[in-house]
Amino acid sequence: MRRAWKIALLSLAGLRRTPLRVAITASGVAIASGALVSMMAFAVGLQRQLETPLRLLSLLNDINVSPEESKDGRSPPLDDAAVERLGRLPGVAAAFPNIRVRGVKVRHGTHSEPCLAAGAPREAWLLGVSAEILVAGRFFNEGRDPEAIVGAPLLGSLGFASPDEALGATLTLEAGGLSPDDAGSFSYQRKELSVRVVGVFDLPMIVPGPIRRGIILPVDLMKQVPGIRFETALSRLKAGDDAAPGYANVIVRVRDLADLAAVDRQIKELGFRTTTMLSRVQEMQTFLIFLEVVLAAVGTVALVVAALGIANTLLMAVLERYQEIGIYKSIGASYGDLLVLFLTEAGIIGLLGGSGGLLLGRIVSCGLDIAVNAFARRHGITEPMQVFVFPAWLLAGTVLFAVLASVLAGVYPALRAARVDPIRALRRG
Amino acid sequence: MRPADDSGRFLEACGLTREYRVGPAIVHALAGVDLQVRRGEFLAVLGVSGSGKSTLLHLLGGLDTPSGGSVRVDGRDLTLLNAYQRALYRRTTVGFVFQSYYLVPSLTAHENVALALTFQGTFGPQRTRLAAEALGRVGLSHRAGHRPGQLSGGEQQRVAIARAIVHRPPLLLADEPTGNLDRATAAEVVALLDALHREMGTTVIMVTHDEEMVCRVVNRALHLRDGRLLPQEGAA
Repeated sequence: MRRAWKIALLSLAGLRRTPLRVAITASGVAIASGALVSMMAFAVGLQRQLETPLRLLSLLNDINVSPEESKDGRSPPLDDAAVERLGRLPGVAAAFPNIRVRGVKVRHGTHSEPCLAAGAPREAWLLGVSAEILVAGRFFNEGRDPEAIVGAPLLGSLGFASPDEALGATLTLEAGGLSPDDAGSFSYQRKELSVRVVGVFDLPMIVPGPIRRGIILPVDLMKQVPGIRFETALSRLKAGDDAAPGYANVIVRVRDLADLAAVDRQIKELGFRTTTMLSRVQEMQTFLIFLEVVLAAVGTVALVVAALGIANTLLMAVLERYQEIGIYKSIGASYGDLLVLFLTEAGIIGLLGGSGGLLLGRIVSCGLDIAVNAFARRHGITEPMQVFVFPAWLLAGTVLFAVLASVLAGVYPALRAARVDPIRALRRG
Repeated sequence: MRPADDSGRFLEACGLTREYRVGPAIVHALAGVDLQVRRGEFLAVLGVSGSGKSTLLHLLGGLDTPSGGSVRVDGRDLTLLNAYQRALYRRTTVGFVFQSYYLVPSLTAHENVALALTFQGTFGPQRTRLAAEALGRVGLSHRAGHRPGQLSGGEQQRVAIARAIVHRPPLLLADEPTGNLDRATAAEVVALLDALHREMGTTVIMVTHDEEMVCRVVNRALHLRDGRLLPQEGAA
């Protein structure tokens, strides 16, 4: 092993002899590796941009449950009893109605702003929702306090200069809507709720604006908002069912992602319709994998072209050092020694090129990141975006791939060198 | 000529032939050479250019394979060795000295000598010491850091000799080692080979066309003509 290593070191002397040619060949590899790593970093960055909000909100573990729209219009109502039943299914961490009301007016002092109000269970922090979404304060108490968590972009409209300033402030929520009564008719109700701000959240730019600048209330508080059952009550009445209306939508959150399929099946067996974020993410990931493959293929083509350059450089070296190869053989170098010697030369060019490619890719992507963010700022997006992401596996993989491609390109020249007839080689001098 | 000190048979070639196909013609470079060399003998093979001297040396050194016949060196039949075993044989048993020195131009004298040790698997301080010793033996310690281009022809040949003996091979094959040198330098190189032969007990086979230059140092001289050894005139 040590012998092979020492012979490999000899290749450095070989490379030192033609520094310009080695530099030009390695530059070709660097450009190809740089293109490859940049394109892959873009694909990874895109994937991160899409997945981060889902991961932060633990949405991958969610099953979205809604009443099944059967031909006869009858399906089990998604009422509180059904929510409780869903919450008791094995593997389920929590089940809660997914209540969202648009146009809820939020008042603070003289400031007033309509926004989207959404319900979340008080034990949200127990459900795996990442604390990263909170920029100030905390999640809800488990008591019955009227609390709210406000989206950071909404604060300015309510007269708060910073998230910390909003903590502890009392907001008045004003909502109105049609609510069903027992007689099967609807009446317009208007209600005001006073809530105390206990937290401020901020979500990545990719999350739709209304959610980012919305307000989150505990589910028990959201249930008091008028109009939340209007849609389901109306559809039931249209179907001739005068039973008490349930919720339009319930979120079932599983403890472990591995349980998702089993829980999903059980909910369907109860007669409900389900959709999961995971299935959407999987569709998205299929597209991203396709994108990654296409980008990697383009980068690989560039690397193959660069590898041909390495093959050419090494073939030249074999021809130029033909006599030297004869000398090596005359003093005892074997077929394997010469393979090691020339494959190492190829590998070193690949290593130089691959490392240079990382540097080049990083510089180019940094420039593009700056340009994209500048463009985004001009269009009102102030949150910095990281378009290119370079995980460690990508950095290591790119260098390894460049070395591997270079070594493969060096196989033919190395074989040529190893097969040199020493007598013919010595006579050439 | 001096008598050999050791009578043990070290090298034996029987019916050695080497043919080359040149277009439709077949050239017989060697046509049935029988040769015995004693351990520690200094043998000169004399002949004009094209007589087959170098071909014989290449076959004895395992650089080439014969078309017919056999070569046994120290009990090993070279014709039965595969390519790797022949490389191993060259690495451990043979030291080559060529007319054109064949030094690696980008390496210093010391590095050229140490190169042979690298292929043998000798590294570190031992490698440095052995290379320095070999250079000292040929009187070139002061030129260790010079590249071949900075050395005279005689010095380059002495570096080549140092490279050939650095691993103390039992067989030294010298192919016209004085062919590119002036008379005075050639005499120095022959004297050096003689000294090394006597100090180290190495079996030396030197191919040359200059009988006068070597007759005083060799134990025996053989004449090769048209690929055949001529009947011996004066064996020791």
